[in-house]
Amino acid sequence: MTQPTANCPNCGAPIVFRWSSSVQTVCTYCKSILVRTDVDLKKVGQVADLPPNSSPIQIGTEGIYNHHPFVAVGRIIYEYDQGTWNEWHLVMNDGSAWLSDAQDNYVVTFAAPGRTLPPSTKVGQRYIWDNETYAVTTITNAHYRGVEGELPFQYWDKEDVVFVDLMSEQGKFATLDYSDETPALYLGESVEFDDLKLKNLRSFEGWQ
Amino acid sequence: MRTFYLLYGVITLGILGMAEYRGWSLYSVNEVKNVPRSVRDNPGSYRSVYSVYHHYTGGK
Amino acid sequence: MSTGSPNPPATPHVKAMNCPGCGAALTLRSFTQAVTVVCESCHSILDAQDPQLKILQQFKKATDEDPPLIPLGTRGKIRGTPYEAVGFQRRTIHVDGIPYSWHEYVLFNPYKGFRYLTEYNGHWNDVSTLRALPTLNSFAGAVSVSYFGETYRHFQTAQASTTYVLGEFPWQVRVGETNDVTDYVSPPRVLSSEQSGKEVSWSMGEYVSCRDIWKTFALTGDPPVPIGVYENQPSPFSSDTKTIWTIFAAFAILVLMMIIGFASFARDEQIFHGDYVFDTNSRGEASFVTDPFELKGRTSTLELKTTTNLGNNWIYLNYALINQDTEKAYDFGREISYYYGYDSDGSWTEGSRNDSVAIPTVPPGTYYLRVEPESDFGHGMIHYEITAKRDVPQFGFFGIALLALVVPAALITWRSMNFEHLRWAESDHAPMATSDDGGDDD
Repeated sequence: MTQPTANCPNCGAPIVFRWSSSVQTVCTYCKSILVRTDVDLKKVGQVADLPPNSSPIQIGTEGIYNHHPFVAVGRIIYEYDQGTWNEWHLVMNDGSAWLSDAQDNYVVTFAAPGRTLPPSTKVGQRYIWDNETYAVTTITNAHYRGVEGELPFQYWDKEDVVFVDLMSEQGKFATLDYSDETPALYLGESVEFDDLKLKNLRSFEGWQ
Repeated sequence: MRTFYLLYGVITLGILGMAEYRGWSLYSVNEVKNVPRSVRDNPGSYRSVYSVYHHYTGGK
Repeated sequence: MSTGSPNPPATPHVKAMNCPGCGAALTLRSFTQAVTVVCESCHSILDAQDPQLKILQQFKKATDEDPPLIPLGTRGKIRGTPYEAVGFQRRTIHVDGIPYSWHEYVLFNPYKGFRYLTEYNGHWNDVSTLRALPTLNSFAGAVSVSYFGETYRHFQTAQASTTYVLGEFPWQVRVGETNDVTDYVSPPRVLSSEQSGKEVSWSMGEYVSCRDIWKTFALTGDPPVPIGVYENQPSPFSSDTKTIWTIFAAFAILVLMMIIGFASFARDEQIFHGDYVFDTNSRGEASFVTDPFELKGRTSTLELKTTTNLGNNWIYLNYALINQDTEKAYDFGREISYYYGYDSDGSWTEGSRNDSVAIPTVPPGTYYLRVEPESDFGHGMIHYEITAKRDVPQFGFFGIALLALVVPAALITWRSMNFEHLRWAESDHAPMATSDDGGDDD
């Protein structure tokens, strides 16, 4: 696939989009947040220093989910009272997905639009989506901490957001994202590290 | 544990089969040897212990 | 690979820092994944996500009050993945006012994340968080959960408080914080739910032998000997019990077939019959010999039946079965007595008129019987018949064999039930009917 190239409006460095549908990216040199319009790239913000991160995944990590190969092209970093976690933007041949990476617990979800979603909820509440019953397990108050790489939408400098995690009895996972006025639903499942067959991971001092 | 029990059961049934086939009984009898043929003519002369002698040697 | 990226993410290093409380050196083995870290020297609980390591709590304990059996920093391979022990805590519950404590170890691998080991009285469990929710069942008062086709029975609900911490944790810890913990068991596994305010988290533990722990982490010395039976400790008996009773059933059928077989194939043939009269008034020689008879076939029993017309009398018969050719004899005596009468309770009888005895392993040959009757003098005439039957099956042995087969099976079942009794004695559902019940939170 053709990789559109452009130059950073702030520092002139070359910007490469690995995914043709990326809407936002971050310049790796000057850390400007750039949004793609029809004609060019526009700088909309700046990423502050990213917090230290010990996820084994990095931009460029490749893997396979459900027979679909993917590449991690970007991430959103959230911070909450127990620390931070990453939402990696995965690009596959036919779309994109999210890989949530919290203390090496991995969950792959896909955006599930077009459903009626509750404005608020509580732990233990049950919902049925796609014939699967989910129960709320955690409600997290988080705030945006940073972005890196390519994202399918604009996302930066958000205020405090509420994330609701739900699990089902079959191992399925759901997230209600209350970042915007209308809540967004993501459906997916927990995955084992080994099943993702990840390549191009980071290395850690003292391990392997 | 199961194999021990299986083996134990097989041995038990083996002994059972042997007992039934060979004619064992729960009753035990004394085996006496060298009963002389003269007992047929004189049943009163039978003694329940016979050792070396083929004939009555002493006593009443 | 992105082109020309000037700052690829740095390889994470194990961080070395100084405790703000006492200045002692601290290492963060789980890179930036730890949420809290405890200083080994001054026991300050620090915020590991804060670059300044803010002090969250301080607790006063001697440094070596509760040394972890797996020293922090030790590595071991679990299911092919290396893990490092990075954190340790002691948690305590109270049952009837008595404190019970167990230990938890936090294990870390930078790719696979966190795993836990629990230890109580020498019993170890390999614990990891669940990726799916169990289904709660409650029926007829018994509470259980199902998870992927397996049913776990409720064992205990208690409030657990953290009473000692060391090392790093991927969540907030405070000494004194409490959580509601519920355990459901299906040996060798256990499902635990932990509730604290807004969060419910489930984990599954699998029982591990202390020897395996010592081998995995290459620890020196001997592991502490496990005391009692732990909630999800696998029973050394349970699977055996079912199989053994199945084997017993098969043997019982075999015994039945043997009974039928021997009963039908035994000759059971009458070889000899004689009618006799013993004159108790006579003083002459009472002994006599019968005509010889032939015993055919293989070595087997000879059943001697004596039927009398005794009435309030007795007779003692000295028998000798003599082999004409080998001059060997089977020598034995039978006492037969029969009494009857009336008293205030009605009529009574004592003894029997008839007697039957099986002479064992009589080889084939020509035999005769030598009979010498005895009785009290002057009690009239005693009529009796002697019948000899060849190759009569001995049913007593079948009973003995069945008993011999039942006893070990019953013993193993008893031991298994005893083991389970010990297991459940520690639960909220203790089987004893005494006043000390395990818990009030059913």
